Amino acid sequence: MLEYQAPERDIEFLLFDLFKVQESWADIPDFAEISEELTRAVVSEAAKLASEVMAPLNQAGDQSGCTWEDGAVTTPEGFKGGFEALAGGGWLGLAGNPLYEGQGMPKMLACLLEEMFWAANTSLFLYGSLTTGASICIDSHGSEEQKATYLPKLYSGQWTGAMDLTEPHSGTDLGIMRTKAVPQADGTYRITGTKIFITSGEHDLAENIVHLVLAKLPDAPAGSKGISLFIVPKFLPTEDGGIGERNSVASGSIEHKMGIRGSATNVMNYDEAVGFIIGEPNQGLANMFTMMNYERLSVGLQGLGSGELAYQQAARYARDRLQGRSVSGPQNPDAAADSILVHPDVRRMLLTVRALTEAGRAFALFAGQQLDRAKYADDAEAAKLSELLTPIAKAFLTDRGFETSVMAQQVFGGHGFIQEWGAEQIVRDARIGQIYEGTNGIQALDLVGRKVLRDGGATLKALLAGFDLNTVDADYREALAAAFARVENATDHLIREANADPELPGAVSTDYLDLVGYTLYGWFWAQMATIAPDDEFGIAKRECAAFYFARLLPKTLGLEASVLSSSNCVMGLAEEAF
Amino acid sequence: MTASTRDLRFAIHDVLDYEGHYGALFGEGTASRELIDAITDEAARFCEGELAPVNQSGDEIGCTYSDGAVTTPPGFKEAYAKYVEGGWAGLSGDSNYGGQGLPDSISLIMENLMCGANAAWTMYPGLSRGVVEALEHHGSDEQKGQFLPKLLSGEWTGTMCLTEPHAGSDVGLARTRAEVRADGTYAISGTKIFISAGEHDMSENIIHLVLARTPDAPAGTKGISMFVVPKFNLDGSRNAVNCGGIEEKMGIHGSATCVLHFEEARGYLVGQENQGMRNMFTMMNAARLVVGLQANCQAEAALQRALEYAHDRLQMRSLSGPVAPEKEADPIIVHPDVRRLLLTQRAIVDGGRVLVYFAGQIGDTAAAGEGQAKQDAQHLMDFLTPIVKGLLTELGFESVNHALQVFGGHGYIRENGMEQLVRDTRITLVYEGTTAIQGLDLLGRKILQTQGPGLNLFVGLTKELAAELESEASLAGYGRTLSAMADECGELAMNLAGKAMEDLDEVGAGAVDFLFYSGYLTLAYCWGRIALTAARGLDGSGPESGGSAEDADFLAGKLAAARFFFTRLLPRAAAHKAAIEAGAPTLMEATAESFGPW
Repeated sequence: MLEYQAPERDIEFLLFDLFKVQESWADIPDFAEISEELTRAVVSEAAKLASEVMAPLNQAGDQSGCTWEDGAVTTPEGFKGGFEALAGGGWLGLAGNPLYEGQGMPKMLACLLEEMFWAANTSLFLYGSLTTGASICIDSHGSEEQKATYLPKLYSGQWTGAMDLTEPHSGTDLGIMRTKAVPQADGTYRITGTKIFITSGEHDLAENIVHLVLAKLPDAPAGSKGISLFIVPKFLPTEDGGIGERNSVASGSIEHKMGIRGSATNVMNYDEAVGFIIGEPNQGLANMFTMMNYERLSVGLQGLGSGELAYQQAARYARDRLQGRSVSGPQNPDAAADSILVHPDVRRMLLTVRALTEAGRAFALFAGQQLDRAKYADDAEAAKLSELLTPIAKAFLTDRGFETSVMAQQVFGGHGFIQEWGAEQIVRDARIGQIYEGTNGIQALDLVGRKVLRDGGATLKALLAGFDLNTVDADYREALAAAFARVENATDHLIREANADPELPGAVSTDYLDLVGYTLYGWFWAQMATIAPDDEFGIAKRECAAFYFARLLPKTLGLEASVLSSSNCVMGLAEEAF
Repeated sequence: MTASTRDLRFAIHDVLDYEGHYGALFGEGTASRELIDAITDEAARFCEGELAPVNQSGDEIGCTYSDGAVTTPPGFKEAYAKYVEGGWAGLSGDSNYGGQGLPDSISLIMENLMCGANAAWTMYPGLSRGVVEALEHHGSDEQKGQFLPKLLSGEWTGTMCLTEPHAGSDVGLARTRAEVRADGTYAISGTKIFISAGEHDMSENIIHLVLARTPDAPAGTKGISMFVVPKFNLDGSRNAVNCGGIEEKMGIHGSATCVLHFEEARGYLVGQENQGMRNMFTMMNAARLVVGLQANCQAEAALQRALEYAHDRLQMRSLSGPVAPEKEADPIIVHPDVRRLLLTQRAIVDGGRVLVYFAGQIGDTAAAGEGQAKQDAQHLMDFLTPIVKGLLTELGFESVNHALQVFGGHGYIRENGMEQLVRDTRITLVYEGTTAIQGLDLLGRKILQTQGPGLNLFVGLTKELAAELESEASLAGYGRTLSAMADECGELAMNLAGKAMEDLDEVGAGAVDFLFYSGYLTLAYCWGRIALTAARGLDGSGPESGGSAEDADFLAGKLAAARFFFTRLLPRAAAHKAAIEAGAPTLMEATAESFGPW
């Protein structure tokens, strides 16, 4: 049985001790009213929802999955009640626009809550996450009328959202999509085509589904510059905010997948469906990216949630499972064997999971803080930083999320391979995070190409320069300085070589992203260890920090060496030679 | 000749010279290149024709259990009948009992192709081989006569019954009892779990190899004895061993993982009482090699599909201008990050293949060699076995995940079979001893307890190879890297030995990272040999003539993959070194309570 408890102690430590939000929020007018007490109440309510309502539906949802019949999708038993609790509690509009019944809370808080919801039940929260994503897109680029029509319904979860991008032949390469949008005399469009892999494209949890669809106008330029964005609701809204005529968008089938089986992944067919354009023609991709950036951080949080959920199961198992004796003499002489926690390698696995998960949480909050500062404090530096951090958050958190889920599964030995314990479900569910919302390879290219090379590494170097080593315990300074130097060295290498060797950035982008990720985690571990209190919680933090510095940060050695190569060892062979 | 048998031939003929190896060990003409190729082709035909077609359906349908009986997925039984008919079960079996008497390493070829085609199905014959090994080494002549002919013909299959609900890695906790009867047989009682192929409908009888304790046995692993417990007794009556259920698992759904209840079942002692654990290791070592091979072959199957997909799937344009201008996009193999994924797999799979067949060669010598050569081979085998099992399963799982990633979203849906490969491969990191157990075996038993003769011999081999590489201008850098790493591996072992005298936890704390470090060293050794073979093939001085353009492309591909391995993967070893040096304090200082859950 997959049990989940939100890491409330760690959350409070991060919010109030590390990021000191009671001070930083006071400086931002929109957040000035958010008291420490309110923050704690929100966290604890969300924690309750996650552990008591969402988590109990997780394993059964995987086993029964979604079913498709004649265009209708039935979600697993209990998902309706679970989604009602999620939506009814106002959680989908938590960071939404207050002018349209959103609650205007900080992204930092939303990050922590999303992690909980992902951890408790990834499949169920997908319905909510896509809804929040759609609301952000409409809020940023929709007309006043569109905002008024859709936002309150999305924030309340009465209606849900979907992002319809992928086509059978067009995944990463959206420029070659074929779905058509033909303008009508009344200013609407008629959309025709087929989309695949549409999460929450059809289901039975809400009265209406708001599809955000990318399509091409008849006279659109070729490639990604010729894509426009449309709202295609399943039911056309009536003037009084109700639902009217059924639109001709329908689910053709759902996919059978490795994991997230409670989430319906649809093939969507549009047969001259009525669509409403968002923003300007041919600006669709740019507009969609607003939503993508949000979704990417959120998918990163999914990876984080997987790691936390997996850790909790593995730690419980390790404590209870008796196998072998400690080499330094029996620790539990009354029993047939000692708890497997006495074995160094079991500890290595658990500490790896925790070191990556807890640093990941601090990192995600840092990324959320930049989004908040960019949006509410008009901080241009923060805006640049959030652009830089988004691909790292997406890729590094999901790669580590999968890795840590697998490691936690390993703690179970053979029992981890059996469905009953749930450890294998966490792995299967986590695997998708490395793919959707742009594969992690795409994130790495985004980081190197758009976020680092384009400004000559200025934003990244400013970020590292802003980390004042004198503010952390002396024990960590030398190792951190060396890691920072590795990042700078690798960055300089890319900048220097990229002109002569244009394939180099793509050839080493993934290792570069990992190098930056492990280095940033080092900084957050040093910070956390420095301010950790002298109680049990704080001691465990410092021990975990020591573990990270001794055993995980050294990965930066190999990553730097790998980046300091030429593209030749990847590109220097003929296609046939593969 | 399929793509994978091309790679296989390169490994066993050109890199490892199997024909010469057999000639030297068993006498000229034992197994000629032609014979090896004929077996390979025949095996490939069987696997592609019979096993691959029921792989995906086997996953979807799985095994079903009803009232003690297990039904395997459609087609499994028929494929097994053809396997028996083809005489595959006895390929390397003792010719006195109906086997064909070919060297053990020849069987690896068959295992290789079977695992790549259908890992779940391969579990059934795979388990038989373990029982055969145990009986060949430790059974009485009477037992051999009773069981081997039917096992080697494949009419009967085997199992290994070790695990109990509370006794997994800690086999010493096993409670299954064995009480001697007046006729010299034993009454076996207890429950075993996770028994692969424990019950099924593919063979007429199932021979269980069971670990149990006699009433006065000493505690722990020293009190374990090994028994043969057939499903049907030799007189045809049903023995009291019954399947109580099968597990719902992440993968290998076509393989029945059984709970077995023994209720005073008739068992025959194999070897001496209380020697069961030691005897079990004979077959465990062979099984561990095969599990490493299994992961590598699954990774290879995944790589083949990923390659095909990367050539066919059109997305985006090459940075250096359209490669397929007549199409709406270029094949994704033009993109560097896709190539990184493919080359990482290549580096793991090709290197791993040479490692497995290299170990197979050493294993032949350990079994059939003489004098010092035999003893050295046994030491080397001791060193290599946990590495093959531990490293190749870990890297194999990494590799299949890269293959899935090449497919993007299409990898995550069932239809394309990639996610099945990931799910099927995951078990290899667990059974036949987890990665941690392999690490402890390597560092504790094979190095620290015995002063590491296997490691020393391997370092010697590496140094010889390094010298050869250094004599080739284009490969000299690999030679220097290899040589330095070999020295460093020896130093790491020495330092660990010193630290372990102060604190025994240092062994467990360094074990897995040491396994990886020495594992990357062995892979580097294999890549050194591949590079040397390819370079000499290209310049005409080696066994591959490089005469045709196709051969030249092939060999150039190997050299490029070698460069990728040394430049992009091998640097990972540095982090493992640091982790080993960090030692036990970073793991053991934390209190048990600090691990939560809170």
